[in-house]
Amino acid sequence: MGVTCVCQVPVAEGKSVQQTVDQLHKKLEQLGAVKQGSFFVDCETYHATGNASGQPSKLLYVMHNSETPLSCMALFEGGPYLTADANFDVLMVKLKSHFQNAKGHKVESRGARYRYCDFLVKVGTVTMSSSARGISVEVEYCACVVPGDCWNLMKEFMQSFLGSNVPEIPSVFTSKPEGLFAPADCMDTMSQYLELFSKVRKQQVLPGSSVR
Amino acid sequence: MEAPPVTVMPVTGGTINMMEYLLQGSVLDQSLDSLLHRLRGLCDNMEPESFADHELVYLLKGQQGNPFILRARRSLAHPTAPWHLRYLGQPEVGDKSRHALVRNCVDVAASHSLPDFLNEMGFRMDHEFVAKGHIFRKGALKMVVSKLSRVLVPGNTDNTEPLSLSYLVELSVLAPAGQDTVSEDMRSFAEQLKPLVHLEKIDPKRLM
Repeated sequence: MGVTCVCQVPVAEGKSVQQTVDQLHKKLEQLGAVKQGSFFVDCETYHATGNASGQPSKLLYVMHNSETPLSCMALFEGGPYLTADANFDVLMVKLKSHFQNAKGHKVESRGARYRYCDFLVKVGTVTMSSSARGISVEVEYCACVVPGDCWNLMKEFMQSFLGSNVPEIPSVFTSKPEGLFAPADCMDTMSQYLELFSKVRKQQVLPGSSVR
Repeated sequence: MEAPPVTVMPVTGGTINMMEYLLQGSVLDQSLDSLLHRLRGLCDNMEPESFADHELVYLLKGQQGNPFILRARRSLAHPTAPWHLRYLGQPEVGDKSRHALVRNCVDVAASHSLPDFLNEMGFRMDHEFVAKGHIFRKGALKMVVSKLSRVLVPGNTDNTEPLSLSYLVELSVLAPAGQDTVSEDMRSFAEQLKPLVHLEKIDPKRLM
């Protein structure tokens, strides 16, 4: 795993989600990026049922990423995070009397996976209960694990196909002392997706955005 | 160019309902060597694997009903190995003719943040112990001979005291639900260990 940045790209004016995604694909292909299969990231929300103390409980998120197909990531907003194997999903079924799955809250991002030299780019359509809610772009620079060392390079690369929509350095990196980036798991990536998904959940449904 | 490596769908092993078939017994410390000797002769691996594990038992109390129990285990011998989280269901009432205790079982490998994560989920540590011993295998059968020790100072696994003057002996098999023939195999294996150890179907509820 390298350094990963996940951001939301606004839908181009007068265009649908699908048209904007196609436009991004075209730009990437013009750059010379090669399509390498597809990807998905999904997120389910659970809330604790029996709360003895009466305080509002934190939500538990269980996520999957096609890049690590045998793993299951469980997160609380702001931590702690847990990486487990796929049996964790079975455990959540057993725990259903304590943690209820908010079915309508399932968010996922699916799309194409491109490779351009040391960069991996994933352009996904973010959907919630089968309606498209937005576009996610994940860029990973695989050749480095220290965000501070490669952020400018990543930014420049992103500018080449995102134009002015390039995000600021993700907060997961700024909150960490430089050089201490742990590349072994994809939690940094997942917490960025989680942030994006929570933003998408709160936003209004886009007009005419049903998924084909 | 080669086909891309990552387009596979995740393996959703979740649909398989695994059951643990279990027989338990114990031997006094002085009889341990003769039991290990017998197991060396009967099992696949000539030399047993040794282990030293620290197990923490967590409870999640709901508004009603029994608490939800999870067991988190870590290896003391291999501190970088993943944690092992285990859910064990209630023993099946089932027919009396079955030779082993049968209960639902979910095994999850997890990262080292597991204790923090369980706490955040609302679980509280109920008790902990250290288990040291040997594992033998014969096909799908698993034999575990272990010494259980209580942890005297919470969290400090260097400071322990044996729970008893004997070793716990467990014979178990993990199989999909409904494969009751495995309990036959277990019974015949247990027969071969007599009179060194008597493995029995023990209902944990009876001991509470």
